[in-house]
Amino acid sequence: MKSYELQNQSYALRMIDGSVTPPDLLFVRDHFNEPEISLDAWSLQVDGQVQRPYEIGFSDLVEMPSIKVEAFLECAGNAANGSAVSNGSWEGVALSSLLEAAAPVADAASVQLEGADSGRLYPDHPLLPYSQIVPIEKCRDRASLVAYKYNDLTLPPRNGFPARAVFPGLYGMNSVKWLRRLTVLGANEQGTTFERSGMNRLYNRVRHAEGPKQITRVSSVQVKSVLAWPMDGLKLPAGRYSIWGFAWSGGGAIRKLSISINGGKQWSPARLQSQPSPHAWVQWRYEWNAVPGDYAVMSCAEDIRGTAQPLTRDPARKDGYELNWCAPVHCSVR
Amino acid sequence: MNLIGARRFIAAFVRSRTPVLAALGICACTYIEATDCGSGVGLQDRIAQFKQLDGKAEAAMGRHQPEEAVAAYKQAVCLFPNSARAYYGLGMAEAAARHFVDARDALRTADRLQPTTAMPLVMQVRVNYSLGDLESLKSNLRELASRFPKDTDAHTVLARFLAEHNLFVLALAEALRSGSSADDWNAKIQLSVLENTVGAYADAIRNALAVERNYALPEAVRGTAAGIVGLSYESLRQGDQARKYLSEAIQLDPSQENSYLALADLFEQEQNYSDAVTVLEQGRRHLPDSNALLLALGTNMVRTENYEQGVKILRQVLQTAPDTSEAYISIADAGRKAANPAEEIEALRELERQHSDYPMIHVLLARAMSNQRPAEYTKILEELALAATAAPNDPEVYLLQGKAYVALGRYEQAASVLERSIGLRPTEPSAYYQLARVYQRLGKTDLARQQFERVKYLEQNAAK
Repeated sequence: MKSYELQNQSYALRMIDGSVTPPDLLFVRDHFNEPEISLDAWSLQVDGQVQRPYEIGFSDLVEMPSIKVEAFLECAGNAANGSAVSNGSWEGVALSSLLEAAAPVADAASVQLEGADSGRLYPDHPLLPYSQIVPIEKCRDRASLVAYKYNDLTLPPRNGFPARAVFPGLYGMNSVKWLRRLTVLGANEQGTTFERSGMNRLYNRVRHAEGPKQITRVSSVQVKSVLAWPMDGLKLPAGRYSIWGFAWSGGGAIRKLSISINGGKQWSPARLQSQPSPHAWVQWRYEWNAVPGDYAVMSCAEDIRGTAQPLTRDPARKDGYELNWCAPVHCSVR
Repeated sequence: MNLIGARRFIAAFVRSRTPVLAALGICACTYIEATDCGSGVGLQDRIAQFKQLDGKAEAAMGRHQPEEAVAAYKQAVCLFPNSARAYYGLGMAEAAARHFVDARDALRTADRLQPTTAMPLVMQVRVNYSLGDLESLKSNLRELASRFPKDTDAHTVLARFLAEHNLFVLALAEALRSGSSADDWNAKIQLSVLENTVGAYADAIRNALAVERNYALPEAVRGTAAGIVGLSYESLRQGDQARKYLSEAIQLDPSQENSYLALADLFEQEQNYSDAVTVLEQGRRHLPDSNALLLALGTNMVRTENYEQGVKILRQVLQTAPDTSEAYISIADAGRKAANPAEEIEALRELERQHSDYPMIHVLLARAMSNQRPAEYTKILEELALAATAAPNDPEVYLLQGKAYVALGRYEQAASVLERSIGLRPTEPSAYYQLARVYQRLGKTDLARQQFERVKYLEQNAAK
């Protein structure tokens, strides 16, 4: 199988006009080279702990009943104020429908998702497809999809064409691109592609304060906001400006966004630009009458469950994921 | 669905079931006695009545009088309630009369009565499209795939219909179904066009190459295939391959306008305007009346500073298509580059007459008028007043007004509009620069210095 080089790309969020990321600005985070997939040959296999394993081709997939979900996807390693996050309208088949057609066994616990991209994560590991494991409850969520369209167009090749998983609310690595296999797993099932490839070593939350290290899997997206404008280091003449950005949470809709221009000493409410929805990000805006001075601009989001962004990074965290603290952007006005 | 389409499908159905009496014969074996019509009349008489109604309905459809056809088919249905032919005809007539829900009901009955033909399902796809019921449409497609997997004609017809209505992914699904069981070039071309449309470029290249390399096929067909290969390579950003296949497409079929345009577009992307001109001139020799080619040729000639020829060709476009905005813009561009503001203004005035709401037309005119010597600043300000009415929050309008007021020595007014421009766009250095000069002339040196400092401050951002 021919493949293209792996990519790691994200784009400044200030390039987004409105609140939907256009397809050419969708962030890309590859683990292996992008595969070249022939539609004639492509199929999605559903197997594992099921009574009726089957394979479905592209034509059958796209002719199934479909749903649309507006949802953001964020890379688990997206920096504070980083741009490895995108939001748009995903269309596809409910993952639950595809699984139910295979009749999973009663004690099915999770689903392993495999992409058509493959490689070695570590030199001493076998060459295996990219894979992730997602709890079956999340797979049965109404909003979890095998998506084949983004913003009413087919998926861009580098974002998973012809079909990818989309799990709203979970970090992006679970939304496996170039999806080709769903394997239903029983409780405590061992020996999976996920383990053998070493993928289980990635995307872990490592907390080390006192006593032994605590290692848990990164999963649901933490509440977060970013500043699309201004950018760090910007020099501005005095005047009126709109500070703006986006906010999201895997825990539900954003209900509040606050802005500080003095490094968190005082906070003012920003205006949410649209009705918050459970899976999509929300654009926010704050009108700023900038007078000469040096500023540390910060945004802080709070979701519907009342969870707010932390003001600083937990010093006990020893990993590079869930970077959701309120990082300041410095700018000066003359 | 239009009537022509309906008639085509009726014709197809009749062909597949001819003679009509044979179909009626099938029905007659199992017909259910109607209770409210035709009772007490013998079978032969009812067949005769049916034939008469059928003919009447088809004639009505031919006269574009679907309501009359509906009435006739309803009587036919009453005579033979288990006749798929009658229900199919009724469905077609109801659809032509835009009674889509009734059409769907009739077609469903036809399908139930005659489950061995795909036509009622194919027609349901069209009716469900007209109803905007995409989920039912997909249900029809699934049923077709399940019951008629090898009916290449049905899948090909549907692929074309769905593509015509911009349902490209579903069209591709149907084309894949037909393409997998047929090796005719037409199906392959259709499939590759759809694959290119939805972004499956590697598949598009593979299928189109299969046609392009079939030397037994007419060159025009191979040329179309080469064009698809070229476009797909372009989408994959493989310029060399794209140029190769688009050139081949032109060679194989010089009458294909799109091949010249696509190849020229490639050169334009590389800012290689002279090669774009060469390709488009080649196209013009084969297709002298193609306005699309002439427009692209004239525009690229202007880009290569061949203003006289470029404008001449663009004027030729405007003779037959006077609403072509791009032609006026290119002529204005030629005027500006050739330091001929009168030509620039004239072209923009012509554009304004054709499209008074053309975006930023007054700003474009004001800029062109500023290039005239001597510039008539009062008229420029009149134009900019219109621009401000059309776009009251456009900072560029106030910046241009500021420059015009400066030229007229009306510095207080200049300061006012420049401050407004800065309020709308505080990060534009040239507005601060103009304002600084205005303050200098007003003797407000501190304010002038402050504006000059802001220009320097902003330039530090740009230098980063």
